[in-house]
Amino acid sequence: MATAPATPRPSRRKARGAGITPWLFISPWILGFLFFTLGPLVFSFVMSLHDWPIVGTREFIGLENYRTMLQDDPQFWKSLWITVKFAGLFVPLNIVLSFLLAVLLNLNLRGTAIYRTAFYLPSVISGVALVTIWSWIYSNEYGLLNYLLSFVGIDGPNWLGDRTWGIVAITVASLWGLGGSMLIFLAGLQSIPKELYEAARVSGVPPWAQIIYITLPMLSPMILFTLITSIISAFQQLTIALLLTDGGPVNSTYFFAMYIYKTAFRFHDMGYAAAMSWVMFLIILILSMLVMRWSAAWVYYEGQARKDDADA
Amino acid sequence: MKRRHLIIAPAILTAVFWGGAGFAQDKVLRFATWDSDESLAIQEAIARKFEEANPGVKVQVEAYGDGYDDKLTAAMGAGDPPDVMYMWNYPSYYQALMPMDDMIARDGEAMNLADIPPGLMNGAVIEGKTYAMPVGFTTHVIFYNKDLLAAAGVAEPAAGWTWADLRAAAAKLSNPGEKTYGFAVDAKPDPFDFEQFFWSNGAQYISDDGKTLDGVMNSPEAAEVLTMFADMVKSGEAIALNIGDETSGSSLFKTGKLAMLEGAMWNKGGIDESGVNYGVAVLPAFGDKPVKSTINASGISIAKDADDPELAWEFVKFFSSPEAVAMRTNDLPIRNSVAESSGKTTDPKFAPFFAMLASGDGTTPAFLKNAEWGRIQENLAVAIEGTMIDQGNAQAHLDEAVAASARFLK
Amino acid sequence: MRKTLGYSALIFLTALFAAPFVWTLITALKTEAELYAYPPVFWPAELKWENFSNAWTALPFTTFLKNSVIVVVLSTVGQLASSSLVAYGFARFHFRGRDPLFVLLLATMMIPWDVKMIPLYMEFNLLGWINTLKPLIVPAWFGEAFFIFLLRQYIMTIPMEIDEAARMDGANAWQIYWRIHLPLMAPALVLVGTFHFMNAWNDYLGPLIYLNDQSTYTLPLGLALFKGLHEVDYISIAAITVILCLPPLALFFYAQRYIMDNALGSSVKG
Repeated sequence: MATAPATPRPSRRKARGAGITPWLFISPWILGFLFFTLGPLVFSFVMSLHDWPIVGTREFIGLENYRTMLQDDPQFWKSLWITVKFAGLFVPLNIVLSFLLAVLLNLNLRGTAIYRTAFYLPSVISGVALVTIWSWIYSNEYGLLNYLLSFVGIDGPNWLGDRTWGIVAITVASLWGLGGSMLIFLAGLQSIPKELYEAARVSGVPPWAQIIYITLPMLSPMILFTLITSIISAFQQLTIALLLTDGGPVNSTYFFAMYIYKTAFRFHDMGYAAAMSWVMFLIILILSMLVMRWSAAWVYYEGQARKDDADA
Repeated sequence: MKRRHLIIAPAILTAVFWGGAGFAQDKVLRFATWDSDESLAIQEAIARKFEEANPGVKVQVEAYGDGYDDKLTAAMGAGDPPDVMYMWNYPSYYQALMPMDDMIARDGEAMNLADIPPGLMNGAVIEGKTYAMPVGFTTHVIFYNKDLLAAAGVAEPAAGWTWADLRAAAAKLSNPGEKTYGFAVDAKPDPFDFEQFFWSNGAQYISDDGKTLDGVMNSPEAAEVLTMFADMVKSGEAIALNIGDETSGSSLFKTGKLAMLEGAMWNKGGIDESGVNYGVAVLPAFGDKPVKSTINASGISIAKDADDPELAWEFVKFFSSPEAVAMRTNDLPIRNSVAESSGKTTDPKFAPFFAMLASGDGTTPAFLKNAEWGRIQENLAVAIEGTMIDQGNAQAHLDEAVAASARFLK
Repeated sequence: MRKTLGYSALIFLTALFAAPFVWTLITALKTEAELYAYPPVFWPAELKWENFSNAWTALPFTTFLKNSVIVVVLSTVGQLASSSLVAYGFARFHFRGRDPLFVLLLATMMIPWDVKMIPLYMEFNLLGWINTLKPLIVPAWFGEAFFIFLLRQYIMTIPMEIDEAARMDGANAWQIYWRIHLPLMAPALVLVGTFHFMNAWNDYLGPLIYLNDQSTYTLPLGLALFKGLHEVDYISIAAITVILCLPPLALFFYAQRYIMDNALGSSVKG
C-alpha cells in the first residue's frame, strides 16, 4: 500500500477474474501516455543533461545543470520560496472558500442558478483578458479598487507595485477563479444521500455539526482531489503573474514556473529549463504522495466502505 | 442519443482531417511578423504586391503579436522556423539563419546598399556575416502637447535642449491632483531602449569586449541617469508608469493627461489619430554631452533551411526595395532616397527622428556584446525598477545588479 | 433568519464576483478618453455599441470562431469518452500494476509544459500536424489526467452494491459501465464537459505554438492580436472578451442543473 492512493482493499474474487478487461478500459490513457507524454518526458530529461541552446551546438554536461541550480543560482531558491509562500496562501484559501461557497449555494435558496453562474463567471474569462481586467482594478493611478477604497477613507497601496502586496494581489486574482473547485464540491454534495441530513435533523443535530459530521466526510474524496490539483496549479502558476506583474515589483512575484518559462523562452537555455522542470516535477510529486498517504486517514470512500464492511 | 453522438464524432473528425489541405498548386512562402494592427496590414499589402509580381506564389503572413518570441522559440527549437521572419535577437538565432552577403553582393545593383544608412545594417552582423536586411526603423524622440505647453506658458523645446530644461517644463505642467503630468518615466523599460540614456550621459551597460560590468554598468554616470528619473518621480514632475499598472504613456498622451512623452514611431500613428495638437523634439541632452538614441531596426531574415532560398531572397529583396519601403508609413524609411522623396526629412514631425538616427553612430547595444546578456539584463531591469520604486538609491541597486550578474561573465 | 443571512451573503458575493465582468462590459462601451478618466467613468456618456462590431470585423473573427467551435466540440467529445472509460477502469478493477499506474497518471499532471512543448512540437511536426487543428483535438481523445482523476473520485463515492447487483443479473464489465456508471456519472460528466469546453475555448498557448496561418487561428489567438508589442487596444480587448465569455456562460447556465439538481434523475445514491 506504500504508493497506493487510498484505493479500495482488493477483493480476492475480482482480482482473479479481471484479466484483460481493465486494461481495455484504461487503454486510451496508456496509448496517449505512450504517444504524447513518454517521448517528451524522456527527451526533456536528456535535455537536462546538456548545455542545450535553442539553436546551435549541444554539449553533454552530465549533472552540471542540477549542480548549478542547487549551488550557484540564488534565483532558484528565491523563486522556489516565493512559490511555496504562494501555495501556502492559495491552497488553503481556495479549498476553504470554494467549500463554503458550495455549501452556501447548496441551501437551494431562490435564484441559486443566477448565483452559481455569477460565481463561475470569472472562471470562463480567458487568461489574457482576466489579467487586463485585474490591471484596471489594481492600477495605482486609475484603478477601481483604490478609488473605491478612497470613499471609506483608505489610501490604498500600489497593489502591484509594492514588494509586499504583489503576491497578495496575485493570490486574490487567482482565487477569483475558484468557481471550478466550487463546482466540483457542488457536484459532490449532490451525491450525499438526503436521508442522512433528514435523520440528523430529526435527532436535533445543529447545522454546523451536520457539516462537520456528514458533509465533510462524505465530500472527502472531492476535497482530496481539490487539494492535490490546487497544489499542482499553485506550483505551475504562470499566466497571471507573467502578465500582471512579470515577476515584479523587484522580483517579488518571480515564481518558480516563471523562472522555468523565462529560462526556456527568454534566455533560450533549454537544458537548464529542463533540469529545473524535473526538480519542480519531483517536488510536486513528493508533496502529492505525502498528501495521498495522509489522505488515507481522512478520506472516506462510500464505494469501498460498504465493501470492506461486507468483507469483514 | 449518446450512442449516436459517439458515431457521428469520428465521422466529423475524419472529414476535418482529410479536408482543408489548401493551396495545393501555389508555392507557399511562410513569413512571420511580430506586428499587429496597422503595421500588419501594411505588411500584408506588401506581401500581396509580391504575389502579384510572382504568379503562383502565396505568401502566408503569420502574425503572432506579442506572442512572437514564444512562437519563434518553439519553432526554432523544434527545427521548423518560418522561411522569412522578423528578427532582432541575432545572437540567439544566427546559427539557424542564412547569411545574406553572397546574395547581397550578387544583386548589388538592386540592393543599392549606399542608399541605406550603415547604422541600420550593422546590427545584423555577427562574426562578419550579415543575417538580415533592414526593412524599417525608428529612433526615439519627445512628443509634446502644444496646447498644454501653451496653456502653462512653457516654451516649446528646441534643438539642443537638456534634461534640466525638460524638468523645469515638466514641473510647471504637472498637476498630480488632477492626474495630469508633465512627463512619464517608465519604471520597467525594455533595457534595450533604455541604454540611450546611458550613452547620452557617457555611460554604457557593459564594456565593449562584453567582459566587464563592474565600474561600467554601475559607474557614477550610470547611477546619475537612474537618480535623475527617480527624482522626477519623487518631485511629482513625472508619473512613474509600469509599477503595478498597465497604463501606457501613449494612452495618457493621447487623452491629454501627459504633456511630454518619450516615444518612437510606434506611438505616432495613435497620436495622429487622437487629434492631439502635438510637436516632436529630439531627446534632451545631459548638460553638454552629445545626445544618443537607440535605433530600433526591424530586420527580416531567412531560415538556413528554408524550402526555397531563392524565393525567400526574392521576397527579402522586394521588402527592402524602394517601392516596399515607401509603403511602410508606420515606421521610417531605411532608404535615404525614399526618406527624401517623401519629404519626411524636412517635415518637422519627422525630422527629429532622422536627427536622432545620425546621433546613434558608434554605439553597440549590449545584447550584441555578451551571449548571456538576456540574464544580465534581468538584474539590470530590477535595478532600474527598484530605483524607481524607492525613488532613489540608484548606486546600491546597480551595485547589486553587477554582483548578481558576475556569474554570467565567463 | 438563516435564509436572510444566506441571501445577503449571496448577493454581496455575487456583486464581488460579477463586478470585474460588469466592469469589462462597461469598458467595452467606452471611448478611449473615458478609459483613462479619473475618477473612473462608471457609465459612459454614450454607449458605444459599435465597439463590438468594430472589434469583430477588425480581424477575421468569424473564421476564428469556426476554428474554435471545431476544436472545442471535437475535443470535448473525445475527452468525455476516453476519460470516463479510463476512470471506470481505475476505480472499479483491481489489477497488477494499477496503483503505480495511477500514480503515474497523477504525475503527468505535474510536468511543466515548458519543456514538453518543444519535443511535442517536433512530434507533431513529424506527423505533419503543425498548422492544423489536430494537436488541439487528438490528445483529448486519449484522456486527460485531471478529468480521469475527477471521475475516478466520483465513481468511488458510488456504492459497490450497485455493481454487484448488476453482476448478479449477468451484466459484464462493459454493460455495467455503459448502462449503470455512465448514467450515474452524468453530473460529473457534465462537469468534465464544462471544464474541458472552457479550457479548450480559452486555450492560448497551444494554438499560438501549433498554428501558423490566420486561417487556422482560434478566438484567443485573435484576441491576443489586439495586444501588439507597443500599443494595446484595450477597448477591443474588452469587447471581444465579453463576446468570448458568452458561449461558455450560456453552456454553464444550461448545464448546471444537470450537475447539481439531479435533473438526470439519478436517485441511486445511498
